[in-house]
Amino acid sequence: MADWARIVRERLAGLALPDDDAAQVFDELASHLEEDYQSLLGEGCSEEDAVRRSLGGVGDWKVLQRKIESSRKKERMMNKRVTQFWFPAFLTLSLSMVLLAVFEIFGPKPWVTPMPGGPRLRMTPLAVVYISWLIFLPFIGALGAYLSNRAGGRSRTVFSSIVFPVFPYVAFFVIGLPLALILDDQVAHNITIPAFFVGLSAWVIFPAMALLAGGWPVQYFASRRLGATQVSGS
Amino acid sequence: MIGTGVKKGTAELAILSVLEDGPLHGYELSRRIEAQTKGSLSFSLAALYPMLYRMEQRRWIRGAWETSSNGRRRRCYRLTSHGKKKLQPLRAEWSELFSALRDLTKASNG
Repeated sequence: MADWARIVRERLAGLALPDDDAAQVFDELASHLEEDYQSLLGEGCSEEDAVRRSLGGVGDWKVLQRKIESSRKKERMMNKRVTQFWFPAFLTLSLSMVLLAVFEIFGPKPWVTPMPGGPRLRMTPLAVVYISWLIFLPFIGALGAYLSNRAGGRSRTVFSSIVFPVFPYVAFFVIGLPLALILDDQVAHNITIPAFFVGLSAWVIFPAMALLAGGWPVQYFASRRLGATQVSGS
Repeated sequence: MIGTGVKKGTAELAILSVLEDGPLHGYELSRRIEAQTKGSLSFSLAALYPMLYRMEQRRWIRGAWETSSNGRRRRCYRLTSHGKKKLQPLRAEWSELFSALRDLTKASNG
C-alpha cells in the first residue's frame, strides 16, 4: 500500500513554507491522493495502476510546488503587515486617544497659551498642551516599538508604528485646517501663521518626540540585540 | 469540451457554487464539480489546491481540519459570508456572458 504522506513529503521536499504551514499542505495533499487511490481501487484498478493514475493526476510536482508557494506566500505577507505595522500602530493610536480622553475628563488641566496681547482665556487660545499626556506618550511609543520589533518589523515599519498616533493630527493640519480656511472664512480670521505652528508643535511635533523618546531606545536596543544574535549565529 | 481559459475563469464560480450547498473537503469538492458538470469541468490536484488556498486568502472560503467517522483527518472548506456576497455578482457576470455568447451564436447561424 502506498505511503502517500511520505510520497508527498519527498516530492515537495523543497516547499519554501514555514514547517507548520508545509505540514498542513503535505497532510492535505496526501489525504486527497489517498482518497483518489482508494476510489480507483474500488473501481477495480490494480494497486499499481491506482498509484500510477493518482500520481498522474498531480502532473508536474515542481509546478504544483511553485503554485502553492505563491498562493500561501501572499497570505503570509498580509499577516506580516498586520502584525508588524497595523496592530502596533492601531494599539498605540487607541491607547494615546484613550489616555488623552482620560486627562481631558479627569485632569490635570492642560497648559493653555493665549493669543498674544489678548486677555487670557477670553479669546481662542493659541494652543492647548496636555503636558501630562505628553509625559505618558513615551510608554506608548515604547510599547509600539516593542510589538512591531517582536513581529520582525524593519526600522521604517517600527518607527511608523511608534509615531502613528500623531498621523490624524498631521492629516488635520495638512488637509483639514487648509480646507477649513478655504471653506469657512470665520475660521480664517482667527488663524494666524504663528498659531498654526504652535498648534502643529503642540499636537504633532511634541507628541511625536514624546513617542519617539520611548520608542527609539526600544528599537535601538532591540536592533543591537538582533545584530549580536546574527553575528553569534553566523 | 470547454477550453482551458474559460475553465480557469469559471473555476472560482464552480467552487463557490458547490460550497454553497455545504462544507466539503478538497477531493469531494473536485468529484462533485466533475459530476455536476458531467465531466466538462474537472480539477487536477495541482489546479485545485492553489486555487483553494488563494480563495481562502481572499476570505471567500474557510478551511478547517475535521475528523470523519472512519477516523480520517481532512480539511473541510466552507463558504464564508464574504464568499456568499462574492457569489451573486460572479453568477450574474457569467450568466450575462453566456447569454451574450448565445445571442451571438444565434445571430451567426441566422
